[in-house]
Amino acid sequence: MPPQQIKQHDRYKHGQFALVLSLVFTLFFLYLAVTRQTMVYTLISLAFIFESLIQQLLLRRLVKEGVSPTDHSKRTRIYTLLQVFSLFTGNIFTASFAFRLRQAKETISYTFMTYIFIADVFLVALTALNIFKPYVTNSFLIILISLISLTVIDGLFIHYLKADITETKSHRARIKLLIVFLMITALTGNVLRLLLSYQLYIHYIQTDESKREQSNQFWQKITRSFTSMLGLLFIVIIFSLSWMSTFTFVESFAVENNYQTLLLEPSLTHPFGTDNFGRDVYSRVVRGGVISLTIGVLTTLIPMLIGGALGAISGYFHPLVDQTVMRVLDALYAIPGILLAIAIIAAFGSNTTNLVIALSIGAIPMFARTMRANVLIIKKLEYIEASRAIGESEWKILFKHIVPNALAPMIVRATLAIGTAVIATSSLSFLGLGVEPHVPEWGNVLRVGSAYLETEPYLAIFPGLAIILLVLSFNFLGDGVRDALDPKMN
Amino acid sequence: MKKWLFLLLTTVLLGLTGCLSTESDVSEDNTESGGELPTINILGLATSEDDVNILRDQLAKSGFDVELNIQPDYGSFATQRDAKNYDLAVTNWTTVTGNPDYAVRSLFTSDGDYSLFKDEKADTLINQAATELPADYQQTYTDLEQHIVLDEAYIAPLYISYKAQGINQEVLDVDTVRLPRSRAAVWEQYDFNDESKRETDPLLFHQSISTLTSLDPIKGNDGSINTLNTNMYVRLVNLTDDDAVVSDGSLSYNYAIGDGNTDYYFILRDDINFAKVENDTAVDSGELVSAEDVVFSLNRANDRNSVPDHRTYSLHERMETIEVVTDMTELDQTNADGTSIKNELAEGLSAPINALVDSEDEVNNAEGNYQVVKITTAEPFPQVLNYLAHQSAGIVSKDQVEQINTFTVEDYDVNTDIAYGDQRTVIEGNDTDNTLYASGPYLLINKNDYEARFVKNPAYMPETNHEPKINEVLVKFIQDAESALSALRNGEVHVLYGIKENRYETVEEDPSLYLQTNQSNGVTYVAMNTEAGPLTSRALRQAVLHSIDQEEFISFYQGNKLKTVSTVSPLVDTGLVVEHDEAQVEQLIQDYFDNTSE
Repeated sequence: MPPQQIKQHDRYKHGQFALVLSLVFTLFFLYLAVTRQTMVYTLISLAFIFESLIQQLLLRRLVKEGVSPTDHSKRTRIYTLLQVFSLFTGNIFTASFAFRLRQAKETISYTFMTYIFIADVFLVALTALNIFKPYVTNSFLIILISLISLTVIDGLFIHYLKADITETKSHRARIKLLIVFLMITALTGNVLRLLLSYQLYIHYIQTDESKREQSNQFWQKITRSFTSMLGLLFIVIIFSLSWMSTFTFVESFAVENNYQTLLLEPSLTHPFGTDNFGRDVYSRVVRGGVISLTIGVLTTLIPMLIGGALGAISGYFHPLVDQTVMRVLDALYAIPGILLAIAIIAAFGSNTTNLVIALSIGAIPMFARTMRANVLIIKKLEYIEASRAIGESEWKILFKHIVPNALAPMIVRATLAIGTAVIATSSLSFLGLGVEPHVPEWGNVLRVGSAYLETEPYLAIFPGLAIILLVLSFNFLGDGVRDALDPKMN
Repeated sequence: MKKWLFLLLTTVLLGLTGCLSTESDVSEDNTESGGELPTINILGLATSEDDVNILRDQLAKSGFDVELNIQPDYGSFATQRDAKNYDLAVTNWTTVTGNPDYAVRSLFTSDGDYSLFKDEKADTLINQAATELPADYQQTYTDLEQHIVLDEAYIAPLYISYKAQGINQEVLDVDTVRLPRSRAAVWEQYDFNDESKRETDPLLFHQSISTLTSLDPIKGNDGSINTLNTNMYVRLVNLTDDDAVVSDGSLSYNYAIGDGNTDYYFILRDDINFAKVENDTAVDSGELVSAEDVVFSLNRANDRNSVPDHRTYSLHERMETIEVVTDMTELDQTNADGTSIKNELAEGLSAPINALVDSEDEVNNAEGNYQVVKITTAEPFPQVLNYLAHQSAGIVSKDQVEQINTFTVEDYDVNTDIAYGDQRTVIEGNDTDNTLYASGPYLLINKNDYEARFVKNPAYMPETNHEPKINEVLVKFIQDAESALSALRNGEVHVLYGIKENRYETVEEDPSLYLQTNQSNGVTYVAMNTEAGPLTSRALRQAVLHSIDQEEFISFYQGNKLKTVSTVSPLVDTGLVVEHDEAQVEQLIQDYFDNTSE
């Protein structure tokens, strides 16, 4: 391949992106190392400098040698291997790039497996930070050991899935076992495992070629998009960490006041410091993740279902129905969502159920409009006319033939809406209108921190970063899904 | 390879189990005592969210199930509180008059303005203490605290606050800015570092509430007007920074208490005239603040029906008669110490008392013609002096008020009748004229949503120490505490009262700012609902009382709070303490279950 073509290649771009991000973090850690003068930051920044250098060298060699590992010289392979291990210093960018570089032909399963492995490593590392706490939960050790073993096993599977598995009978049995294994271990909250098992099922177990083709097209786009995979990875890490936190994080550190540890600086015991009530902010952020995510997902799913149904009905049936439903929804659309939520909560009191309801109602018209627009287009198509001609019932046509084909834009909308919903939840808690103040919802955690922005800025920075990263991740993922589902790009 | 890995894992496992302690290792045995405790509902204001959270945490640790009801503004909070829609309500009380009677009367008597409970013994003790002098009432208030807090646990105390004030020391002379315990800010003493600025630059003051209840002193007693009315109307006496009653800077030269503690005499100054508004500034009206005005003002203060929405008559209802003394022989009687009233009143006067005059035209202090006002209380009540130092006892102009308030109280219609002191008369660009007459050092000229403009009363004790130094005061209305602090830091206000505890450091570290602190009479306590709900049980109330650890509140506020027992604690040292005692709480909860199961 000529150098010009290599530079246009997906993999090369991925490498450049990883280099830039790695450099940004190098600067960040260097700054911390200089200002804080602690050993940990110095070591991390040195590691990041080293990894960025290797990455630079690796990119140069790629231009010379090409992007496929089969063409690589021994030295390039060593660099690649070195970068794989950068995962352990926390550099996911170079590590994910190195994993990608190690396979000759990109398979979806392999990519998923590597990301599962990365998520595992982070889960173990972030959970293991609890070792420095005065005490841990009763189940902490067992779970930590299991997680470590799981990480090792996953590491081995990466090797197994590296080669494109040929379809033989013995392989198929093994794949079945692997799927069962993945389904069970998905209980750790790692959604990627479910995706991978679905992928394996589509690819190796079921035999419908068209389904395989369709799914491949979609997932290949997603897995090749570095940003959406990064987004997915972060969502998975946050979700599984906070999902497992019931067993691995001591609840009292997150919710009970401790007047001996008021406003402590970040340390190994309290990685994000402690707040004005002496609660460990790291435990609060982790335990709050599941609350923020659940509320975010619920306030997207509920309006998606209600709005989707209303939109489908008004798009398909008589204009009278259409007009009635849509004008009512227009009236609702006219009220700003967050104001409506504030009004509902002020009237009915602040608790989690009311919060979900309040945020859901405001989002209904948006989903209804999206659905209606699609239904209007699809109902004019010939195959609908055909079903009508053979006498199928209206409801069956609508929900069996039209709605499934109109779902793609809804999914894109929903993925992007989750991010907004997380922000809305946090905003309401920040205003003191969300959940009760001691509940470690991210907006609540941020609110406490905001009062100390001048003196103890880390109290606001960490929960703020968590919110930013989660929303950014959903947006990255949403963009990826949109590109993958867009018929014009196919 | 595998062997090695296995070995490594085993070592890590062994190592970890050796040095990690788990939750069950450290948690104490919580033996539950027969049954489930009822859910306790805590009502609080959003601004006291921290207190509510600490309280929730402490009650939860005692085994209670706690629900929170946090209201965003005072109005909604008061609605819930008045409807008794709570088990515990986190409440603040500030004794603005600096005397213990005020600290207990409206809260703990059966017919008080904000009565929390009905208890005959408490009523008797409060009425007894009111007639006593400080040496005697200490024991009575101790008995009262013992009864209502420790024995019956009607309220649970949390802490006494400090007051703190930030001052821009680059602009203002810090020594001239007082921070009294009870009294509102004393504007007339404030001065700039650079005296030449007195005429040209305004003093920038801060207040959080911009809607003023009323500028008639008797028609309001809240944060929106306390400071403003204190500086707009002079009183018979004042409180020092430590709440002693003095004549300094008041309408009287001296005061004296007659034998028996029912008669109170005040000798009036003749160097204060009312100021009125003319051409957007304050001018001398030529009308002397005289005994006639004092009698008029105090009579309307203790008459419930003198104005619509009278909000302060309960402070003044113990005064029976207010009269001008013209008979010199009346002053010859002696007080409890054996000195005559006359001698006490004459102390330090520039001219000896020649005659006591009734008419304002005959007053001439330089020639010895003085006015004396006598106040008689129905029962002995020495603390009446504290109420006279309160903003609501400010002296208004008889002529002016009678001229404005032409309506009858029964037929008063808020839409058509504009009473004296109505906020509408001072709002900028409003058609109604500003009819205020100020007897105090400053006069409010106009206001909008962002600021109120005051100009000095030109005829207020001219050429004395109490003559206002700065010509103009602008009160900036900034509701949010953080924004107000920012305003102080960038010079938008010169004085900010009410710095929060977690902000002391910010003010202290800023070289242009100076932090002033003083103990306050503000007590934060928890009111218990004794009428309905689980806390009708005395054992449970006491369990709540002893679940509260005041030390934890103090450490949360970084040591900037004091322990308390009741609202009297800042004023009377009763020597009592409320102990946090887990064993006792367990015992009390056990008692509760024993009683309910019977």
